[in-house]
Amino acid sequence: MTKHTQAYVAALSPTQRRIAQLGVLFVPIVTQVTDILRVGSLAFYYAFKKPIRWREVVQQSFFIGNRSLAFVMIVLGFLGMILIFQSGFQAKRIVGDLQGMGALYLQLLFREFAPTVTALMLATRVGTGIAAEIGSMVVTEQVDALRMNNAEPIQYLVVPRLIASIVMTFVLSCVALCVAFGTGMFVANTVFEVNVATFYNTSLLEWGDLIIFSLKALAYGITIPIIASQAGLSAFGGSEGVGTATTMAVVNASLAVTILDFVLSGVGYIFFFS
Amino acid sequence: MIEFIDIHKAFGSKQVLRGVSLEVKKGEIMFIIGSSGAGKSVLVKHLVGLVRPDAGRVILDGVEVTNLTEEEYYPIRKRCAMVFQNSTLFDSMTLLDNVALPIRKHFKLSLAEARSEAKAKLALVNMDQHAERYPADFGDGMRKKVAIARALTLNPDFVIFDEPTTGIDPISANIVDRLIRDLSDRLGVTSIVVSHDLRSIFGVADRVAMLYKGQFVLDGPPSLYRETDNAIVQQFINGRPQGPMEV
Repeated sequence: MTKHTQAYVAALSPTQRRIAQLGVLFVPIVTQVTDILRVGSLAFYYAFKKPIRWREVVQQSFFIGNRSLAFVMIVLGFLGMILIFQSGFQAKRIVGDLQGMGALYLQLLFREFAPTVTALMLATRVGTGIAAEIGSMVVTEQVDALRMNNAEPIQYLVVPRLIASIVMTFVLSCVALCVAFGTGMFVANTVFEVNVATFYNTSLLEWGDLIIFSLKALAYGITIPIIASQAGLSAFGGSEGVGTATTMAVVNASLAVTILDFVLSGVGYIFFFS
Repeated sequence: MIEFIDIHKAFGSKQVLRGVSLEVKKGEIMFIIGSSGAGKSVLVKHLVGLVRPDAGRVILDGVEVTNLTEEEYYPIRKRCAMVFQNSTLFDSMTLLDNVALPIRKHFKLSLAEARSEAKAKLALVNMDQHAERYPADFGDGMRKKVAIARALTLNPDFVIFDEPTTGIDPISANIVDRLIRDLSDRLGVTSIVVSHDLRSIFGVADRVAMLYKGQFVLDGPPSLYRETDNAIVQQFINGRPQGPMEV
């Protein structure tokens, strides 16, 4: 607290001071959100400005996409089996008819599970990677060296990760959808004896589902690298600072994905499904 | 001339600089000494806008450079090079490309032109024979020499050296010291050197300023540091664990 702020606080009445203390709780949140928005807006500004480091975009796409493929496929594969297993038992007990299970499941995957669960996986795997890499560069002064060499760190470091993440989050969400549907179909067929042709039912799918799927994948693809990069760029101190930045990246990115999921689901309901 | 006027800087609740003022004349080799965490690096980074002051002014050759935009700092950073404490070479680039980077970015030269210019600078620090190898192949001392070559590529008027001889062998340290002296004597380059290295301080410095608890406690020629009866300075210079200085 600066001397000026201390003098200001000292002059407040006890009630005003209590209100000010409540405000203090929100200062770090507001500061962080403002900084995320600053990094995000600068990243978009530089994304449309030459030069773009395309070789780095390809490398980052490999790191975000290829290296996350097995992780996402395994998680979504098991999730698909669990969802059909649990929901199949419930549906059998309550309605007894599993004919529409495949159609409902496909709709649920498009609207919700495929993009959101993939994004939560990426928030942990990719978010930590980006925050740790950029954070290490900050604490070892490599980011300062970039600035000294006339290279804007956001253009140099964040933009390639942003482009790669937008593309690969969408691709991975599509893969996740196929895998989860495939494993769900396997369980439905083996456990509940639902015919594959019956399970593969697209009758409930609408254009709105495709739009919401794409919107969610796009929003998550933008949010995760921006939040992780902001965490990395705000790292301070030594290895402890990098650790804090990494934790901050996972927590903030996971929170952002969850909140965005709620907002975009609401948007979908208002515009397409109501 | 470089002037730091009444610089205050805090990180969170930690007040690092408390009204620091310093003048560095053209061609001078100014050493800033002090214990770890005293704020030496923070102070020098104000000159090139890597750290912005909470209060105070920074003047470079009569022009205020305190709170410029990032793009307004570009010409300042072309004139004031910096050798960082951690060498800060980019691991994905060869030594030659590391040294060529500032030339390409500041002068927009072609890769071939920048590389030929960079090779000449690598020769200055006897690293030209390793030009096509990567930073990971070398130890701290050699990486530091390359970092110095990179800083000199823009033929700067001012160079900030942040602990240039820390962690390198005595022979390499001597080469670095001689290079700093040569830059000043032959090219009139002004150097600010952040250092703990007493051998360098008493061998190369024109002036030394000691930072303690966010303020300078002594500023003068190296000989003054041997003569002074300031207990804090004496404890630091003699490396005594006991004394008035809080470490």
